[in-house]
Amino acid sequence: MARQILKFIPVIALLAIVPFLLPGGRLGTYYLTLTILSVSYAIACLGLTVVLGYSGQVSLAQAAFYGLGSYTLAILTVKHHWPFWPSALLGVIVPTLFGLVLGAISLRLTTHYLALVTIGFQVIISLVLNNWATVTGGADGISNIPRPTIGPLSFVDDRSYYWLMLVFLCLAVYVVYRLRHSRLGNALLALREDEIAASSAGINLFWAKVLAFSVSAALGGLAGVLYAAGALYISPNIYIFDQSVLFFSMTLVGGQESIIGTLLGAGLLTFLPEWLRFLKDYYIAVYGLLVIVVVLFLPDGLWGLVQRGVRAILRLVKKETPVQPAAVVETLMQRAEPIHRPTPGEQVLLEVKDLHKHFGGVKAVNGVSFTVRKGDVAVLIGPNGSGKTTVLNVLSGIYEPTAGEVWFDGRNISGLKPHVINRLGIARTFQNIRLFPELTALENVIVGYYPKGTVGLAGTLLSTPRGYLEERIARERAEETLRLLGFTRIHEKAKNLPYGQQRIVEIARAMVCEPQLLLLDEPAAGMNTEETKELSHLVYRLHELGFTILLIEHDMSFVSQVATQAYVMDFGSKIAEGSVDEVLRNPAVIKAYLGDDAEYDYA
Amino acid sequence: MQVIQLLVTGLAVGSIYALVALGFVLVYTAVNVVNFAQGDFSMVAAFFMVSLVVSAHLPYALGFVVSVILAGVAGYLFQLGVYQPVKNRPRNFLPVMIATVGGSIFLQHLFLILYGPVPLQLPSVFSQQTVDLGGVHVYPQYLLIIVVTAVMVALLNWFFERTKLGKQMQATAQDPTTARLMGINTARMNALTFALSTALGGLAGILVAPVYMVTTTMGSLIGLKAFAASIVGGFSSVKGAIIGGLAIGIIETFGGTYISGAYRDAFAFIVLVLFLIFRPYGLFGEKVSQKV
Amino acid sequence: MSKWRKWSAGLAAMALMAGVTACGSGGAGSGGPGNSGGGNAASGGGGNGSGGQIVIGLSEEITGPAALSGLHGKRGAELAVEQINAAGGINGKQVVLKIEDNQGTNQGGVAAFQKLASDPNVVAIINSVRSTIVQATLPYVAQQKIPNMIGGTNPKLTNMGNQWVFRFRPNDTYASAAMEQFAVQDLHAKKVAILYDTDAFGSGGNDLLKQAFAKDNIPVVADEGYTTATKDYTSYLEKIKSSGADTLMTYMTNAEDEAQMLRQFRQLGLKMNVVGSPSIATDVCIQLAGDAVNGTYGVSDFVTDANDAAKQFTKDYEAKYHETPDLFAGWVYDAIMVLKDVIAKNGTDPNAIRQGLLQVQNRPGVEGTYSFDQNGDGLHGYTVVKIDNQKVHTIKYVDFSKH
Repeated sequence: MARQILKFIPVIALLAIVPFLLPGGRLGTYYLTLTILSVSYAIACLGLTVVLGYSGQVSLAQAAFYGLGSYTLAILTVKHHWPFWPSALLGVIVPTLFGLVLGAISLRLTTHYLALVTIGFQVIISLVLNNWATVTGGADGISNIPRPTIGPLSFVDDRSYYWLMLVFLCLAVYVVYRLRHSRLGNALLALREDEIAASSAGINLFWAKVLAFSVSAALGGLAGVLYAAGALYISPNIYIFDQSVLFFSMTLVGGQESIIGTLLGAGLLTFLPEWLRFLKDYYIAVYGLLVIVVVLFLPDGLWGLVQRGVRAILRLVKKETPVQPAAVVETLMQRAEPIHRPTPGEQVLLEVKDLHKHFGGVKAVNGVSFTVRKGDVAVLIGPNGSGKTTVLNVLSGIYEPTAGEVWFDGRNISGLKPHVINRLGIARTFQNIRLFPELTALENVIVGYYPKGTVGLAGTLLSTPRGYLEERIARERAEETLRLLGFTRIHEKAKNLPYGQQRIVEIARAMVCEPQLLLLDEPAAGMNTEETKELSHLVYRLHELGFTILLIEHDMSFVSQVATQAYVMDFGSKIAEGSVDEVLRNPAVIKAYLGDDAEYDYA
Repeated sequence: MQVIQLLVTGLAVGSIYALVALGFVLVYTAVNVVNFAQGDFSMVAAFFMVSLVVSAHLPYALGFVVSVILAGVAGYLFQLGVYQPVKNRPRNFLPVMIATVGGSIFLQHLFLILYGPVPLQLPSVFSQQTVDLGGVHVYPQYLLIIVVTAVMVALLNWFFERTKLGKQMQATAQDPTTARLMGINTARMNALTFALSTALGGLAGILVAPVYMVTTTMGSLIGLKAFAASIVGGFSSVKGAIIGGLAIGIIETFGGTYISGAYRDAFAFIVLVLFLIFRPYGLFGEKVSQKV
Repeated sequence: MSKWRKWSAGLAAMALMAGVTACGSGGAGSGGPGNSGGGNAASGGGGNGSGGQIVIGLSEEITGPAALSGLHGKRGAELAVEQINAAGGINGKQVVLKIEDNQGTNQGGVAAFQKLASDPNVVAIINSVRSTIVQATLPYVAQQKIPNMIGGTNPKLTNMGNQWVFRFRPNDTYASAAMEQFAVQDLHAKKVAILYDTDAFGSGGNDLLKQAFAKDNIPVVADEGYTTATKDYTSYLEKIKSSGADTLMTYMTNAEDEAQMLRQFRQLGLKMNVVGSPSIATDVCIQLAGDAVNGTYGVSDFVTDANDAAKQFTKDYEAKYHETPDLFAGWVYDAIMVLKDVIAKNGTDPNAIRQGLLQVQNRPGVEGTYSFDQNGDGLHGYTVVKIDNQKVHTIKYVDFSKH
């Protein structure tokens, strides 16, 4: 990791020598002021990289945090004569607190609602800064903001202040980079890609959102502090909605997920209006058009475009190296020994007691009870619309039961959140595969290992050895799991994988944490006969390894071989139970599937 | 007496929000897209109206109709640029929303170039005098706004429930796949929905312009507050958009008078935040469980 | 969307940006006047040294919320430069105007100022009429030591110890004092209401008015602040009506807001006297308000018939631009004309210009007679006007200068 962060060194070095590259005299001052401005903007935009790029949360309030940072510094130093550094620290803390609150509110809100709440927050803060004159100085603003000093060093000179800012920029880049490549970063990405799958994999969505907003607010505040001390004068008309839109555009245009892209975007869009001055009235209209073009056609921004270009060129230039034959690894499916499937014991692992789930007037689950013993491969079958998936969704915490209880391993888990249930030992896959499309197969499975990690934000940022160790273990376990399942293309993005392979990855993600109970929702859906055979083989092996499995399926041949216990549902109720053979001979079951007129003798 | 006056003002301002909010909701339910430039189409239509009625001396009623239609056409062109190119992309919500933000900036400055920075005046059909309703001074234009909005809502209801085209649009919004299978040209329906929503926004702009004056920024705050209103009403509910709009208009007017004039613009958002904390589905939105 | 379309769109965007960059910056510095954004009054081909030209910088709000006043300021400047050059320039040298857009924002104002200051040929800069923008540039003004002419009226601006700031409009202490004096002495106000914009200009004016009335023991029975560009003043006016005030003082930044408010004022049937800050007497306000503005009073630093210079200026401006000038054009015109006098006498050295400006006493201009005090304030009074029949009529000039 230390090695990888070195790639930023050329960028930072380039930025550091900028003052020497500038012309002298007043023209140099003009450029230097703009450069200082763009560094402050860049730090604010890095906040958006975290909340928008990594976590997928739309925040149009970054200028409000920027303003809170500036004003905290200004009010403390100018009106209360505090020393610089404690004021600056508070200038980061105050916006962070607001970010915490915003993140907490955002839990239930999807994209456009969230966007609007952040806009509302932005508008309210703007009005407060302008109108609460006794505290903020009102519309007049605050002047004579001091520059920092460190011992004998003073940063009154713009050049030295610029270099000081670069130090903070490095700090910001470090924080964002470290976050991205840590376990917490994986959680944020999962949050962005698929909230439900993330939650079911053990990620506490609430804390993830709070984290995202807090970090982004902290960076916004830091940027605001640096702006204020740089400009020496602030007034409320700076911290308005338009400025939030500007930050947003900078991050997007540069490349919202990429740190270098964000830096590029901030620099470009600071200087662009200056370069476009000759366009006079037209330049903002042109600017608006550019935002549209980039957002629609360059989703990974200009930097993404550059990266793709470089890659394309390299592909042309480099010869195709012959693919090394993969080391022969014995996958679970290839093991030659006969399968020793354990017989289920008497210990009850999961007990469902008279479960009801109603959606308005629709009674999807209407009084279902069953048990799953440790070591079972239980299957829930039934025609379409019988409520099977709803049962699974209640079990995994996505829905709350309307009535009834679910007990797991001696605990009442009814109504608990998905991530809590996951940590208690239940993992699942989904009927319509829910992988994280933009993450690689390996990254997907690493997310599955999330609950086993312990290092929080502080530990992550301080780069404790424990953090690195945990991340390494997670990666190794993920690789091992995928290898076991015979999956080789671990660095391929999930969205590019064929359907059958996606299913394998999803199962790997569920198993990597060694849950006590695996819930598989129609794992064979969409598979051909070959793939289904492989899948049933896999389920045997999983059973052999000690997993207890509850699965939903349609495919009778698959089910009849695999299951040790079957429950049949129809119209929300359980209509039969027993071994698969027993159940399939049950006239009620036949009627449910085939209707009254059937005269089949299913033997 | 002051209360009645404020009520009329609140309802009138709220009607404007309601019309614009209606536009938001129509587009959102049809194509799951939020058009941040919705408010700016009010501005567009108002400027067209000025050109037609003041410069070209068209009769008021004719200018009115033409401007609303032109606003619809502008909306159609707009969605060609910001929605069509990415409509089949699976997670297009965010890019389109941001593109509409860019579109809003572009529209405002385009009109700044076309019409210049001087605020323009759109004459009202009424004289400048207020109407005396039992001792209360009421602007006639406000009464017109309220009446026209009510008529418009009734008209839309009839359109959606009784006409073939309206039902087709509803079908497309509720289930595009089935609609297509039934032979409905969903692409055309969606484009029409956009056009209808910007036409509604345009109508709002023309109604309010005689009171406010026509400037390039007139649409943005209206748009934001209408957005808030549609969320308060429950984002997928037509009824909610209207009630939400009226509610915000009234709360803002009374709050601005009795609580604080300086913070008047904040009321819409404070209400919004409270709703989102305590009742995120709005007044009439349904708690639709996600299909997992 | 196909890959090729994506690629070509992306490349097109990059090409557009690159092309624009190449056109715009032209190397490591845009020194010559040909690279500025906006018209130049007389651009002799890219002159480099102070050989044949004197360059005056102008930071204006070309784009931004007050683009209208920016346009007027630009016109006032261009008229001045045209007249100077037609009369042979300054000591034989032609004057060139270099305009930069400050976009109406602090950051834009700083950039515009620095861009202008970076041109070694620029001898003086006409800075913004917005006090917050001026304040943002002050640290750099002190650094660069270039004479700045400002139009912002916040009294603080000339009291911060900055020697390079010269104000060409009377500041807000005078405006509010004139308004208050007129209301109390001439209109016999007994209970006043104040309606003010909550931005820097309006809230500053509000505070000064309240202080002035307090000194005369006149109660302020309603004090209503609104956000810039508010459209509906009904609630504020209702409160003012029920407060029992006999006089309404308005401190409103935008002429269009003033017009809007006045229309509603009349429609609601309010009858009290109105005394407004300068925007009430502007052409924009009078046009947009129509009948509603008749019978109101105000103070204005610029009135078309206030003095001979103003009358002549109005005539010339109308001839060239077919519209009546306002204060935004007036003060800029004065600034350049006074600058011309000072440079003609003292040369282009910054310190010489500064000393020269301080020595300007009793110099008539369109905004009034300029006598610079130690702080750099050139004007010390306001004209009280009445607006009737869609025209502004001078009532009297209230002079606060100390001699």
